[in-house]
Amino acid sequence: MTDTTNKVADNTVSIEIDGRAVQAEKGSMIIEAADREGIKIPRFCYHKKLSIAANCRMCMVDVEKAPKPMPACATPVMDGMKVYTQSKRATDAQRNVMEFLLINHPLDCPICDQGGECELQDVSMGYGRDVSRYVDSKRVVKDENLGSLIATDMTRCILCTRCVRFLNEVAGTDELGGIGRGDKTNISTAVGNSVQSEMSGNIIDLCPVGALTNKPFRYKARAWELMATSAVSMHDGIGSNLYYHTRNGEILRTVPQDNDEVNEAWISDRDRYAIHGFKNTKNRLLYPMIKENGQWNELSWEDALATLVKQFKKFDGEEIALFTSNYASTEEYYLLKQLFDNLGSHDCEHRINITDFSEHDRLPRVDVKLAQVAKQKKVVIVGGNIRHEQPILNHKIRQAWLNGAEVSSFGPKSYGANYNLLHDFVGNQINWVKQLGSLAKSVAEISKQYPSGSLADWVKSQKTDEDINHLAKQLLKDGVNALFIVGQVSEAHPQANMIKALTAWLAQVTAGQVNELIAGSNTSGAFLAGLHSPGDIKQKSHSLNIIYQAEIQDFADQAAIKNALTNSDFSVAFNAYCDESLLSRVDLVFPIALLPEITGSLVSNYGERQVSMVAQKAPGLTKPGWRVLRVLGNLLGHSGFEYEDINDVMAKTVKFQSQDPVINQDCQVNDVEVKGLALFANHGIYDTDPLCRRSEPLQTSALATSDTVFVNPKDLISIGFNEGDLVTVEQEGRYAELTLAVTSSIAEGTAMVNMGRTSALNLNASELNVGIIGVQS
Amino acid sequence: MYQVNPQSKDKALAMNLLTDATRDHIDHWLTKYPHDQRRSALIGALHAAQDQNGGWLSEEIMKAVAEYLEIPPVWVYEAANFYSMFFTQPVGKNKIAICTNISCMLRGADKVVKYAEAKLGIKLGETTADGQVTLVKEEECVAACTGAPMMIINGHYHENLTEAKIDELLGGLS
Repeated sequence: MTDTTNKVADNTVSIEIDGRAVQAEKGSMIIEAADREGIKIPRFCYHKKLSIAANCRMCMVDVEKAPKPMPACATPVMDGMKVYTQSKRATDAQRNVMEFLLINHPLDCPICDQGGECELQDVSMGYGRDVSRYVDSKRVVKDENLGSLIATDMTRCILCTRCVRFLNEVAGTDELGGIGRGDKTNISTAVGNSVQSEMSGNIIDLCPVGALTNKPFRYKARAWELMATSAVSMHDGIGSNLYYHTRNGEILRTVPQDNDEVNEAWISDRDRYAIHGFKNTKNRLLYPMIKENGQWNELSWEDALATLVKQFKKFDGEEIALFTSNYASTEEYYLLKQLFDNLGSHDCEHRINITDFSEHDRLPRVDVKLAQVAKQKKVVIVGGNIRHEQPILNHKIRQAWLNGAEVSSFGPKSYGANYNLLHDFVGNQINWVKQLGSLAKSVAEISKQYPSGSLADWVKSQKTDEDINHLAKQLLKDGVNALFIVGQVSEAHPQANMIKALTAWLAQVTAGQVNELIAGSNTSGAFLAGLHSPGDIKQKSHSLNIIYQAEIQDFADQAAIKNALTNSDFSVAFNAYCDESLLSRVDLVFPIALLPEITGSLVSNYGERQVSMVAQKAPGLTKPGWRVLRVLGNLLGHSGFEYEDINDVMAKTVKFQSQDPVINQDCQVNDVEVKGLALFANHGIYDTDPLCRRSEPLQTSALATSDTVFVNPKDLISIGFNEGDLVTVEQEGRYAELTLAVTSSIAEGTAMVNMGRTSALNLNASELNVGIIGVQS
Repeated sequence: MYQVNPQSKDKALAMNLLTDATRDHIDHWLTKYPHDQRRSALIGALHAAQDQNGGWLSEEIMKAVAEYLEIPPVWVYEAANFYSMFFTQPVGKNKIAICTNISCMLRGADKVVKYAEAKLGIKLGETTADGQVTLVKEEECVAACTGAPMMIINGHYHENLTEAKIDELLGGLS
């Protein structure tokens, strides 16, 4: 029997909207209650994730006993309130507002990109007059260039200020404002500034009219021609939910898919614009190719696979190695593992982006779910440019900061966060780890507890200072329970396991929690499939090397993998893209589809398994990886490769059980020394995967990296070169030619090089000793 | 909680461009508001910066004010462009603002504007060739309706305007 008592929780009130009884939270606005009930109220400035501005006046409703129509977005609910959204007074008010909004709005819908998905267009169909009574001249606004990502037509702007509020509240960059007054107001940047937020693209979705539109998508398609495919981002460990909008099997744009547990209503610019990398077809593989006498020749899939099978049969399992990056699907990883198990090879590795192999691979430790990060009160970032590594996580940290959380950071660079840092400990790649050791020492001295094993002696040998002691005391306070976020700078650090052990110990003593970040969108999937081996398998010599969906740029030790490929008897790449640096070192290539071109599952940094659907037709003879691997299994005569379709493989991967990671706190102290400058292998926000690296809008945007080596201005004298000089970064007799630049955001003794770029292909991230010398050629 | 987003700590431009007197003036305004609401000191700061800079606000000096207050430059730019008492283009030595709001309009403000324009040989919003006088583009009601029509010369109210009085006032400018 249903409960018929009319019990109402304390914090709710009962109101009536259009005759329907509605429960609403005390202090919430009428529009929220109406939205939940599915009662449509037109609006432009209101957005559930932004503050209330109440400046468009479109959401006027009739409230009983109120002397005039009230804006539903800014009128709090009151017990017993009766609201009418369709009464004459409400609709009259809405019509009048609509007429004012349309006064200055141009009638250029036929050439406006927003046409067909325009809130103004939709609402004016319902509330607008068919004839304008306005005869004076209309307002015209000059456009600014906001960069390669966002196109502007500010004459169309209706001044809802959603973009201004987004950049102030969510992005935290305050790049746009309402300039001028009254009818002369326009939205623009402060003079000479541009919009550079890593989340800037969201203002396109927020704009209810065609004032801010997607620049690379401009004039490409109409909303009604597009098909939406639900997908998951392949660019970071967040696993942002997306829709790819496609026409005739081609992705034309990316928009966010709401998921309050993950990306809310937002996506980063990386997720939005990376698809334009597909347009760069220069290095895209279209058919299988084999290198014969130094010449690349096309061949059929049958011949190519037969050639590979012959090679497989030529070598013992131990002589075969597999390297894969972390943006393919779990199903491909599963089949790769199955294949290599059958071949008898144990040397399969997905950890190509790390440099410390002293511990076994494991899942990242994640104590705090992504959505809960926003509720933390104390955050300590350990080696990470979170804003570029996982923009959505950074957004959650920023939300925590807005709610009063304190954030401290350790790392090789002062990254310029969009929240204030209570402490920003910056040192070169060796010294900032020592500063973390100082924190451990300080915590140990206060708490009288020490880490175990050799780490204890190392911690005791560190020096502490006032700031470190301050942080240590804060962390040890009852009820602080800080969240330590171990970033990707730590993950790729030559002392990674030491950093993780130290952080785990700090969290243990201070009753804190730890979230470890991993680069790559499916690193956990690759781990769960078992694609990892003890130690650094690059150091062993193999006769047959297989590269699966990885470019040289994806490796931390680029020089080392180039060597390994060159020195093997035969090398094969299963890739979507192959640039010259890889083509010159392999003998056989297979064109394999990238994630947006296949259906597959991904396991995020936070342990969520999500399925991404095929959105785009792969070019040429490109095939989905799982099919190729299945056929390969069949050709080799292995059993267990009888998969009919992707669902059969997913039936296996869905069963993957994640174990809680065990962090070895009794780890080896890996004390690194540098003589000259310490290399900081920086990973630019748009240098993370083949698509980003090829996306022209991203590569021409403000956050793109360049072929430069950065040093602290104080190091210029000892280096002997000037800013802007072409120099050579020397590492163990290998050279990278780069332009010298200075920044005081990195510590003295640091040489920051942007990895993932062709210019840095001769460097190994694991070797910290570098020098800057004159140009060699 | 209200938070101002992090701003650059570099105050080189503010220290370079703003005089000691201007910075003292801004400091005085800053004492009146809580630190997280320092944006409120902006109007006072812009007045000081404008006085220092020959009666108008250059882009550079607006940036310097933003730096000094540690607020986003766009907030400074918004305020400077909103209020009619701030000028973002160079102006003459004397600023004449004629009220054209409803009360003054009913009492003949249009004629006052025409007369002043003819006498000075410039239009509203322009500056005389000798750089002596700027006719302010627009002025909102300044609550002196009892003495309409009125004008403000360099911050001082002049009410019940007649042609003779305008002659006298303009003649007295140097």
